[in-house]
Amino acid sequence: MTGPGPSIGGNLLQVEGLSCEFDGSRGVARVLQDVRLTLGKSMTLGLVGESGSGKSMLIKSILGIAPRTARVTGRVVFDGVDLATLKERERRKFLGRRVGMVFQNPMTSLNPFVQVGRQIEEAARYYFKLSKDQGRSLAIELMATVGLPDPEDCYGQYPHQFSGGMKQRIMIATALACKPDLLIADEATTALDVTVQKQILDLLQTIQQERQMSMILVTHNLGIVAGRTDEVAVMYGGRIVERGPTEAIFHHPRHRYTEALIAAIPRTDQPAHTRLRTIPGRPPDILRPIPGCPFAPRCPVAEPRCVESMPPATSDGDGRHGYACHVPVGAASGGTGTPGLASTDAR
Amino acid sequence: MSGSGIQVDRRGPQVSQPTTPARGPEAVAKGRSLLPEADAPTWFAFGFLALLILGAVLADWIPGLAKPNLEVGAFSGPPALTVNQLFGTDALGRSIVSRVLYGARTSLSIALFASAISMSAGIFLGMLAGFYRGVVERLVDLYANTLASLPPVLVILALIAAAGTSVFTITLAMGLLGIGTYARITKGAVISQAGRDYVLAARALGASDVRLLAREILPNLVPTLTAIVPPLMAGLIVTEGSLSFLGYGIPPPAPSWGGMIAGSTDLLNRFPLLIFGPILAIVLTVYSLNTVGDYMARRIDIREGQL
Amino acid sequence: MDAPTTPLRGPAGGSGPAVDDARDAALLKVRDLTVTFRRRKGSVQAVSGVSFDVARGETLGLVGESGCGKTTIGRAILRLLPQGTSATSGSIEYGGQDLGSLSSGGMRVVRRHLQMIFQDPLSSFNPRRKVWDIVAEGLVIQGVDKQEIARRVDAALADVGMSASMVEGRRPHQFSGGQCQRIAIARALALGPDLIVCDEPVASLDVSVQAHVINVLQEIREKRNLALIFISHDLAVVRNVSDRVAVMYMGKIVEIGEADHVYARPAHPYTRMLLEAVPMPDASVKLKPTSVDREMPSQSNPPSGCRFRTRCPLAARICTDVEPPLRRMPQGQLAACHFPYDEPAPGRPGPGDPGIPGDAS
Repeated sequence: MTGPGPSIGGNLLQVEGLSCEFDGSRGVARVLQDVRLTLGKSMTLGLVGESGSGKSMLIKSILGIAPRTARVTGRVVFDGVDLATLKERERRKFLGRRVGMVFQNPMTSLNPFVQVGRQIEEAARYYFKLSKDQGRSLAIELMATVGLPDPEDCYGQYPHQFSGGMKQRIMIATALACKPDLLIADEATTALDVTVQKQILDLLQTIQQERQMSMILVTHNLGIVAGRTDEVAVMYGGRIVERGPTEAIFHHPRHRYTEALIAAIPRTDQPAHTRLRTIPGRPPDILRPIPGCPFAPRCPVAEPRCVESMPPATSDGDGRHGYACHVPVGAASGGTGTPGLASTDAR
Repeated sequence: MSGSGIQVDRRGPQVSQPTTPARGPEAVAKGRSLLPEADAPTWFAFGFLALLILGAVLADWIPGLAKPNLEVGAFSGPPALTVNQLFGTDALGRSIVSRVLYGARTSLSIALFASAISMSAGIFLGMLAGFYRGVVERLVDLYANTLASLPPVLVILALIAAAGTSVFTITLAMGLLGIGTYARITKGAVISQAGRDYVLAARALGASDVRLLAREILPNLVPTLTAIVPPLMAGLIVTEGSLSFLGYGIPPPAPSWGGMIAGSTDLLNRFPLLIFGPILAIVLTVYSLNTVGDYMARRIDIREGQL
Repeated sequence: MDAPTTPLRGPAGGSGPAVDDARDAALLKVRDLTVTFRRRKGSVQAVSGVSFDVARGETLGLVGESGCGKTTIGRAILRLLPQGTSATSGSIEYGGQDLGSLSSGGMRVVRRHLQMIFQDPLSSFNPRRKVWDIVAEGLVIQGVDKQEIARRVDAALADVGMSASMVEGRRPHQFSGGQCQRIAIARALALGPDLIVCDEPVASLDVSVQAHVINVLQEIREKRNLALIFISHDLAVVRNVSDRVAVMYMGKIVEIGEADHVYARPAHPYTRMLLEAVPMPDASVKLKPTSVDREMPSQSNPPSGCRFRTRCPLAARICTDVEPPLRRMPQGQLAACHFPYDEPAPGRPGPGDPGIPGDAS
């Protein structure tokens, strides 16, 4: 058992030039194009995108669980290990132990005929060769961690005996069983009520801080990542179009898509009947990507070069805030703002 | 989204045509095919059934084909390269090819008419039960379960004993017995449809119950029903064959597959080939019907997946 | 259906409902609506004694968690609940007519004025129909003549930013989610309704598409002076579209009033809990995990007294014993609570903000 190293600052996950394609009868579908991503140890990343942006496929490609028909190219380094150097079985074992996943629908991930306690301990018993009793006590401990009431009683119950929020807690316990270095929550709270969503997000945040894990929150809802993540990456048309510290993304978005997306969200602090900003046009056609910025056809300020050439990756200030836009927002202002001061202009 | 009050992009050479919805990368554009995505057994099944039906319907006009009760060759004659003697001749010197085709006419039309009876009554009852639930459902269930618990061959035998054997009695008896199955399947399908939003939406628009059932729900039952009719018809063909085999089916001089098998059993050790024709006909027909049913069911899954 | 004939108002004690701003001009009056579903194991009261009004051209937002009864109310108004397994009491009056007493023929006429939009537009379309026929269906059912149908379908499609040529010969699955929801709106509009019940109409849409559909709904509402009942679990969306808001918890309205009042100074602890849970696209507040809270109790066996007491931070003895009636709050809205707040909303600037105790900002 290798405990999670406390070395804050190193990269846990490094993704370079990751692309993913499918062959279809109507041509090649480019689901991911040249994605570059790094995630520091014990950092939290919000991966935001609308449906079809490729965010779920990015996670699958990183973990090597994309459908067999997909052609995935690029480099993925996890904690210093280049995944390409591992055989498939080794890689699966390696990632299975080091990465925990929580999906949107717990019912499809939980086996309805197996006691939840057994499902929670299963992976840990396999990887750490735990005895029956050790497994049981680990499961009960984890159930207490994720806030299931009366874990001893819950151990022998079946998934259908729990509410949606409780099932998601069970999923989280399962994901935590092997003490992962990275927890990925893929739309884990989308199907839940707001109050339950908040509870689950609070729980994930608490666990992440206590265990000093890294975490990726994959979501279509910008509201979920605000205030809960260190960094945000915004995906559009199979590319990461902007990434940076969460505050910078929300207060000084540079990419036109990010800006439009934030402006499209209704807010409780706006008066009634405020006209929302919309994004005209339709999502990009992954079968026929344009050579330039995928957002160009819907962008209000696009220039001819935006359609013709992909904007180079640019970064602000200390290099943490990166974006790919020829005509970034507030090209003059720049800077990520000092944390703490930036919060005053929110209202 | 072109024309939705939104300016059509002037620069982009790429904006996709409005007809293609953004779907997964696996979305496949299919060329028009008679049987989309059919495999070899499916093609065979459709082909065999088409030939059999054609042969049965056109038997009177097939050049050189003798009438089924006509003596065309030796008693229990071997196969020969003439139309009538292709499968040999039976114990009375009649053409087996001819009797198989004319037998198909009987078997298929009994299956068809019996299915029609079961379907029309079964779908009607099933729709009422699934739509109104409550007492109606309980009554229909009772009826269907009672029918299902009776051994069909025995019931038909009892009916024949009472009413005398005739094609009409057999068809009617099998038709009545099949009502329960259709009622139950229809009920299940209606229950799953009736809870869907489109039915609710039509109700909100003011649709009456009759309109909901006939115009909204019924068209959506068609795929489910087309998938179950062929295998159920296969069952009818087997039942009819069993009855004729037992001698309670089609009255003897008329050709029927079951009767032919029964007639050849006496001579089985001397002329095993005799039994081959009708058995092959039954086996291939039943196999083909079931294969067609499977194919239909697969098509529904695909279509449902696309919705 | 035994309905109270006179609208009850004021701070009624006991079980009598107080009605928020009962106006004589109200288009829709719902009084003491109770809906019971019969289940295999006993019955469940999905809606218990709910009363509210909707005026012409006004939008009432109906919010609450799943299972609070908001969808049931919407369907009860349109008489869309399964008749075999549900029982409705109380009265629903539209334009002075008690809908419960109407024959099915009479109800059909009223349906021209009352329409509905569903959460998942695609599933609300008959998969075997073409889009044009879907939009025209209500008019066909209502027996409108052909030329008039064509005219009104075109007008309805135009109102949602589409056109007959766009939909010609096409089936619903050939359109995107946002377009489908606009088609659903057009179908409702074609009948020329006065009130549309919108049941989570944007919940399944992407943010950018959601904004578009909301804007389309707002434009139409203004243009046609439509009243809307906007059912949603998303408090931010409801804030945007609603003039008035009703917050529901376990089948009851716990707070109802002008949206400005409810959002600015929510009185009921449940309203505050919901508002606190709304994910805000605002990174200036670094969120701190708060304590684990309890789940909604079983519907079939609701708590005595105030139904929210099992999750309420303020619950006291009286909450177990006495069910709080809806009472007028100083800010103007009605709330059913023994210990209502009189403070600005959590996360809003203001003195004595009780929102997030540990937050330093």
